[in-house]
Formats: sequence, structure tokens, C-alpha cells
Amino acid sequence: MSNFSDVGNLMYLYLDNIDPGSGTGTPEFLIHAAAHLLNQKGGRNWNPVIVKEVSEDKYEVIGNTFIYAVAEAAGLEKVWCIIADDSDDAAELSKVLAGEEIPKVNLSKASRDEIMSALQYLIEQPGSSLKAVKLPVATNRIDESPRQYWKNLNEITKLKCGITKGKKLDALKQVFYLTPEPLPKTIKDPAILNSLTMTELKKMAKERAIPAFGKMKKPEIVEALSQ
Amino acid sequence: MMASQLQEALQSLPENAPEPIVKEIFSSVLFKVLDFQQGEIHPEYTTGRGPVDYAIRKTREDDIFLHTKTNPWLLVELKGRDVNLSPDAANYQKTVNQLKRYLLADYTSSCQWGLITNSIHIQLFRKHGRVVHPATPCLSMDSSNVDEIASLIKEKIDCSVKALTIAVYNNKGGVGKTTTTVNLAAIFTLLGKKVLIVDFDPNQQDLTNSLGLPLQDGDVYKALTEKSPNLSNAIHSFSLTEKRTGQVFSFDIISADKVLAYDIEEAKIRQEIKINTLHKALEKLKTQYDYILIDNPPNWRIFSQLGLYAADVVLIPTKHNNLFSLENAATAMKQFIPETQKHKGDGTPVPLPVFFNGEKMTHPQLKAAKEAIAEIIKLSKKEGHNLLPYFFPKWSKSTQDTHILEIPSYANIAGSAFARIPAVYRDKTAREYYKGLAKEYFLK
Repeated sequence: MSNFSDVGNLMYLYLDNIDPGSGTGTPEFLIHAAAHLLNQKGGRNWNPVIVKEVSEDKYEVIGNTFIYAVAEAAGLEKVWCIIADDSDDAAELSKVLAGEEIPKVNLSKASRDEIMSALQYLIEQPGSSLKAVKLPVATNRIDESPRQYWKNLNEITKLKCGITKGKKLDALKQVFYLTPEPLPKTIKDPAILNSLTMTELKKMAKERAIPAFGKMKKPEIVEALSQ
Repeated sequence: MMASQLQEALQSLPENAPEPIVKEIFSSVLFKVLDFQQGEIHPEYTTGRGPVDYAIRKTREDDIFLHTKTNPWLLVELKGRDVNLSPDAANYQKTVNQLKRYLLADYTSSCQWGLITNSIHIQLFRKHGRVVHPATPCLSMDSSNVDEIASLIKEKIDCSVKALTIAVYNNKGGVGKTTTTVNLAAIFTLLGKKVLIVDFDPNQQDLTNSLGLPLQDGDVYKALTEKSPNLSNAIHSFSLTEKRTGQVFSFDIISADKVLAYDIEEAKIRQEIKINTLHKALEKLKTQYDYILIDNPPNWRIFSQLGLYAADVVLIPTKHNNLFSLENAATAMKQFIPETQKHKGDGTPVPLPVFFNGEKMTHPQLKAAKEAIAEIIKLSKKEGHNLLPYFFPKWSKSTQDTHILEIPSYANIAGSAFARIPAVYRDKTAREYYKGLAKEYFLK
């Protein structure tokens, strides 16, 4: 980093030179009440706004947008800011650390504890659409599923753990993402086989030359393929 | 007499030796005495949750730990002499938590042992699945006993025991001790573990009855009063065939002995059976099972005392809507368990965090229960006991997390006793709940 760079510095910047970025969805009351308090208590924002430099003397907020909005409402001319570097990583991290965005967990690799705490978070949200979901049931079913191969989160709805398409699944999309592995060439894991359709299973049985697969029921064909 | 290597090392340490010096002078000798060679010790090992001072594993044929860095077996967290590790110091708890964090991290699942020391105090911990419990008390070392302590530790880590012994106990009746024991055993069996249950409540015999098994006619009594107690003859097997798949699940059980309940007075039992008798009797079975579960009566008399003494950990079911079950849990943690630890002298049994077993609860009920618990914790703190980790295991100063595991009980779980089958074999939802308990507390 060159000596002329401001990255990492705390600076007192003109509000006019800062673009609010994506903005905050905070209710008006919170902003105005906070602005009133800020003015009353000396007008110094001890929690800095996180900004990046977009061009000379031009900045953009990447974190703590709420504080920017409060400073604006309080009519401050200048606001204390920390200059972060100009990368997407920094922007994402600042948003998460400022509590403005929910961090996501990679469901392809997550541990049971991570899945459980993510679900618990969603269930305990006020007005959550997942209120009726039984935490241990959903945790076990998701944890034991072949989720490393899932291409999308719709697979969760097939686990019959009370999470259906629509609002409930959308809530889950807030906290989970996937980085699927390709399916192995010959699948022998009954858990994965069970998640496939009969057509797919029959195709597989044909390829592996399993005798009399045409008359088999799903449990039997799964059994035969897992040998 | 010539001073041993360890004695020499201890004597040459300056009084306030910081960590690097303790490492240089003391730990190298300690590892040698514990019989670890050069390629077997990896300093600053990455656990996945921070680096631990040392990870150690014996060389297996061509597999040299220092090169492959896989499957560590013992973790050592070392401190300087300036860090006080006596059991009532704040730094002790911090160091123990640090070790536990490393032992339960992603890359250390193969670990079985953990050691903390600052060359003044030393303590060995054992890991079984997700449970980390002391294997020795926190011992104070000086040159007169250091060799003895080192050989004690070596003896322990050289013969790893397979089983974890769990006592299910609450001084309050009706909180679901028997239900928990049976269903936990059943779920362990479903997950491929070998399990033994001991019904150590001869007056109620509920567990034995709930599985429809016959009572023992003096076999347990006989086994416990023999010169070298041996319970093998008293073991029965409970097995069940799943209708759909034809799979057979079975676990072993030492059912309740009616002789202990009706024929002999407690005073007489006390004369014949010592507090460590059950512990000794189970010792021989520990190589055969993954889990030994002891169902105890809801009192603090001879059977519970023997049961707790025999256990590594104590699982305490409580009810959110029953204040006494919470207060009794606290009494066990403050009084009965420490008393047993003192008597036993190896740092066990330790309580596991409580869980709520019972009717589904509403928000205000949960709030009331948590307030009651907070009050219990506050009062205990005044008496010098820190119960926080046993009631709110996830609590830390910064998170203030007060989640407690719940197992809602409902008609199907209770009704299973009529069918003489554990609920988890009959009811899908019950199975998920108990699997949750098993995974949260015991299984890695």
C-alpha cells in the first residue's frame, strides 16, 4: 500500500462528497430520533460510516448506511468515515459486519451446528413464516440429505420437514447458498438414490445392466443400485 | 537418589517462566517421558478453530504425523507459569474452554485426549464424540510428585476406553429420566452404536417394565456383592425387528433387581456394597460398549450415589414448567456431583447442560423458566458455584445467548410404554427429537 493511500484511515469528510450507495431501509422514526440525539449529544458520530473512494474526493458508502442517513437528517456538514478498499469483498463484509445484510452459509458443506443455528435464527424472527417448522426434524433431515450434490434449494421441499415452496423456502434462501459438486458416475449411496426420480433410476439401472429392473418398485431398485 | 529428567526440568524453571520457556524446558521432557518421539509432535497445529500449541500422534507404520498431519490424537495447550491454572482461577476456565474448542474443531475429530499445563498445574481431558470430560482432576505438580503424575497420565492415554458412561439423574421425579434413557439408547442403537442400559432404580423398575422385560431375581445383587463384581451374567438383550426392512435393532440391558428392592434393607445393602462397586463392575464392560446409560432413582440415596459414581457424565432432564426440577438440577450440580467427584478423585462425573423435556411451551412460559434459571444461577454464584455453562451452554458475555435444548413430549412418546417399545422406534417425530439430542450432546 502506498503512503498516499487513505485506506484504513479515519477521516472527516464532507457529506456532499459521499454517495449513499444502496441506501438503508430503516424506518423514518429511527433515523429522525437518532438524528435528534446526535445533535443533542455533540454531533460527533463515534461509529464511523464505511466508505470507499470512487474518484478523487468522491466516496460511496459501503457499510453503516444508517449512520449516513442519520447524519444527513441531523444536518451535519461533515461526517466521520473509515476508508475501506475498493473491492466487492470489502463491500460485502462491511454490510454483514454492520448488521445490514444476513451472512449466508454454504449448505453444500455446512456442519449440522451451522444448519441448526441458521434455521433457529429464521424460526425465531418476528413474524417468521417458519414458526411451525420443528427445528430438530428440519435440521436432521437437511443434514442427512445428499446436499453436496443439490443444484438448487428446491430439494429441501422434498424432505417433508414442513418447508414448502413459497414463503418458507424463500426465507431459507436468505441464509443458504449452494456450491454443488458434480454427481459421481456410479451412485451407490441410498440417500442420493432415493432423491432421484423413477425415470432416472431406471435409466441408471439400464446402464448398469441390472436384471429385471422394469418390474422393480422404488425401494427395490434403490436396493439393487446400492449394491 | 538421582533426580529424574522431569524433576530436573521443573527445578531449572524460573519462578515466573513465560510460555516459551516452559515449552523449551518442560514440555519437551514431558513428551519424552510420555513416550512420544520426534516425528510425532506437531507444534502450532491448525485445528480449524485456531492453532493449538501441540498436536501429537504415534507413528503408524509409514504414516508419520509430522508429515501427513492427519488424525491427531492428543492436543496440548501450554501456558506460562504466569498464567494461573489452579481450578478456581479465571484463567483456568478460559484455558479449559480453549482446549475444548480445539478438541471439537473440524480437523481434530480423531482426537481422544487433551492436556493443559503450565508446569505448576496439569490436567488431562478425555474426548468421546462431542463430550469432553476430565480424566484427572487439575493436579498441582512439584518435583516430589511430577514423575508419579506423568506415569498416571501415560497410563490413562495408553489404554483408551471405548465406552462413555452416562448417568441420567434428577432428584425430582417425573421429569422423564426413564423415557430419556430408553429413547437415547434406542437412537444410539439406530445409529449403529453398541449400548448397555442399567436400570438402577429397583424400587420403580419403570425402565425394565417399559420394555416388557422380566425383573432380575438377585443376579445384580449377587454380582455386586461378589469379591470381584461381575455383571456379565445379569445382562439381557432387548431386540426389535423393523417390519418394513427386516432390520434388527438390539441393545443390552441390566434390568432392575427385585431382591435389591424388597428383600434387603438399605442399611444392609450399604454394609455390603461400597460406593465404587458399580463403577468397578462396569469397568470390565467398558471395552464392549460405546455407551453405558444408567437410569437412577429420583433421590440421593445409595442407588443414585453408586450410579453417579460410576458415570463419566450426568445428563439432567428438567421440565420448563416445573421449578423444582430446575432447582433440583442445581442442587445436583452444586452438591451431589462435586461430592461424588471429591470421593472418586479423577475429576468425573461432570454434569452436561440441562435440557427441557416436556410439554410444548409458549413464549411467556419460556421467559418465566429462563427468569427462574437466571435467579438460580445468581443465587448459586453467591455460594461460589458457577452454573451458567450447565444451564445456558451457549452463553457468553458478548452473545448473551440463552438457548436451551427442548424435547417436546407428547402423547405418542408417553404412550409407547404401553406397547413396550421405545418411542423412537414407533414415531418418526420422536425419532428426530431424540436424534437431535444425541447429536447435540454426544455424537460427532
